Amino acid sequence: MILKYLFGKNEAIPVGSAAIFFGFSSIMWFVIGTGLGSFNAAKLAFPDFVTGTEMFAFGHMRQVHVLAVIFGWISMAFAMAMMYITPILGNTRLWSEKLGLWNCMMWNISLLLGLSLLWMGVTSGREYSDFPWPLDLAVAAFITIPLAVNVWMTIIKRRTQGIYTTNWFFAAATFMLIIVFLVGNLPEYFHLTGLTEAYMTWWFAHNVLGLWITPVAAAIAYYVIPKVTGNPLYSHRIGHLHFWSIVVFYSTPAAHHLMSAPLPEWLKSFASVEGVLILVPAIAFVSNILLTMQGKWNMFVENLEVRFTVVGVLLAIPLNMQGGFQQTRSINWYIHGTGWMVAHAHLALLGFSTFLEAAAVYLGLQTLMKRKLYSLTLGNLHFWLLLIGFSTYWISMTIAGLIQGAGKIYEVPYIDVVIAEHPYMIARWLGGTMVFSSTLIWLYNMWMTAREGTVIPAGRMPHELAYER
Amino acid sequence: MPWVFNEPLVTLTHAETGERSKALWEAEDLGGMTEDNNRLPVPVVILVALTIATAFLTTIPLWGQRPTAAIYVDYIKAMDTPEIQSIQEAQGDDAAMKRIVEINKDNPLKAQQGRHPVSMDDLRVLKPQIEEIMKLPAVDLKDYTVVGPVVKIANFEGNFRANGKRERQQPWWDKGFTIDLFYLTMFFVGVTITVKRLPAYHWQPRHHEADPRHGERRHNA
Repeated sequence: MILKYLFGKNEAIPVGSAAIFFGFSSIMWFVIGTGLGSFNAAKLAFPDFVTGTEMFAFGHMRQVHVLAVIFGWISMAFAMAMMYITPILGNTRLWSEKLGLWNCMMWNISLLLGLSLLWMGVTSGREYSDFPWPLDLAVAAFITIPLAVNVWMTIIKRRTQGIYTTNWFFAAATFMLIIVFLVGNLPEYFHLTGLTEAYMTWWFAHNVLGLWITPVAAAIAYYVIPKVTGNPLYSHRIGHLHFWSIVVFYSTPAAHHLMSAPLPEWLKSFASVEGVLILVPAIAFVSNILLTMQGKWNMFVENLEVRFTVVGVLLAIPLNMQGGFQQTRSINWYIHGTGWMVAHAHLALLGFSTFLEAAAVYLGLQTLMKRKLYSLTLGNLHFWLLLIGFSTYWISMTIAGLIQGAGKIYEVPYIDVVIAEHPYMIARWLGGTMVFSSTLIWLYNMWMTAREGTVIPAGRMPHELAYER
Repeated sequence: MPWVFNEPLVTLTHAETGERSKALWEAEDLGGMTEDNNRLPVPVVILVALTIATAFLTTIPLWGQRPTAAIYVDYIKAMDTPEIQSIQEAQGDDAAMKRIVEINKDNPLKAQQGRHPVSMDDLRVLKPQIEEIMKLPAVDLKDYTVVGPVVKIANFEGNFRANGKRERQQPWWDKGFTIDLFYLTMFFVGVTITVKRLPAYHWQPRHHEADPRHGERRHNA
């Protein structure tokens, strides 16, 4: 079916096709990404598990897991949300469904190729920007630029005078992602080495998180909560504070990832202050969304999309408290290079952003396919498995990180640290495997929704029918 | 888009522009979404202010900055004294190092010495390098930093001194914080202007007829 649309006329493509394909692609990559994560965690929990094959070595598998989750699950769920929400907020259609479908197909092909190369050991060796440079250019050409063009053109062609808060974030983030991708990979294009490479690597990694994942995930909450609860967004004004503080304070602290490197001291101090200031957008965001929930807190219990969204928003509090302070010199010396950072990264990607993306994909797929969720019970099971699995992972890795930090500072023999953290590695594997199981349930539920979900009558929202047979 | 400055804390917008904004705000349908015009709640303002203060307070002491060679000069001088050498022979390096730290408890650089503790082995590596630097004419050891086992000229380049040499010591108040202040200032000026161009916060939109609240104000009416 996708081939028919790829070579057909734009006008002949049903509204929402690109978003639906992106939505299912994102869930598929979520299954793959968390499956790889569970496999990797098993290797850490049980050192004799799958040994002797280079391709299955942890060093090969880890980066495949990370990039499958970031550019497969998270970014494709974002693309789905953009192709679904951007036109709605402008009272218009997506500028080009055809471009969206091509974008989706090329995205899947590029990612498949990139991850296969990584799996075979072809890598730039730079964390988070592990793809070799020809693939970086392919990502820019086939993934980030077409997505930005579609989002921007949809906003430009909107049939409203104003632009809703969500679309500010979508427009800015798609633009900033292109800059981050092209500039952040400069060391590969021009063979920059040493400290310059290290700084640029973390400039890329920091900004992929700060200027792509964080603002887009927040933008989803700005849409889902007012849309599903029917409440107006608490404050347009706080939206301004949030948006501009993200742009100013999230774009600048890259050097705080390298506090022990011989970078200029002024740069590290500057970045460290800006690093704490990421709490400003977090405070604005969380307060705006939670205040929008006034009078509708019953939906936190009753409605799946609201529950996913509010949990994501609540997780932004520990996320930014950690992120803001763990980079200061007084804390960084202890937890740098330990499992604490792994726990923090999962709090950002598997906690905060995944819950918000899941809400967007649930709401978007049901709305666009005009099908009620096949099974609310499976939806609830997905939620609880994800929440408990993630929490188990986060708490166990945080404890393991503190043990590693103590071992590092007090110069405990490495093998003793490995033994001390072993129970937490098993807990990590259990938590990760629960998350993986939840994604399988979700994929089944959404597939069955597409095939057998009850048709939603025109003018109704999926959540209005959630408890109707 | 005329500007007015007679009530800058309330609005920067001309009344006519404000009325047009209000009309658009209430009439326009952004995909069924509506927005209120509430101000930032006071506790949240306090939280933001606290965050900014904390950002500076947790970084100003510059914990973990590289040590300068100057903080180890008195340690190195103490190494050659008969007292330390006898302790070293009788009780070992650790006891000798402990005594060196005790001797320097009133040192003007004791705070930095405390933040950058060293062992006797470290001092043995640093001693010949620092002594070599001290032979240079008109040298200031604060211009040199200790990077692991190596003593190097600091990577900061300040003004030229009267003797033609570069100053290598960044003043404590200018270690990135001035740029932070610039960013913060520009941010708050920018956001304040943006927000004050909106209708004043005590005005709330009634939203369109399709709104389930039927035009009632919800949050702070």
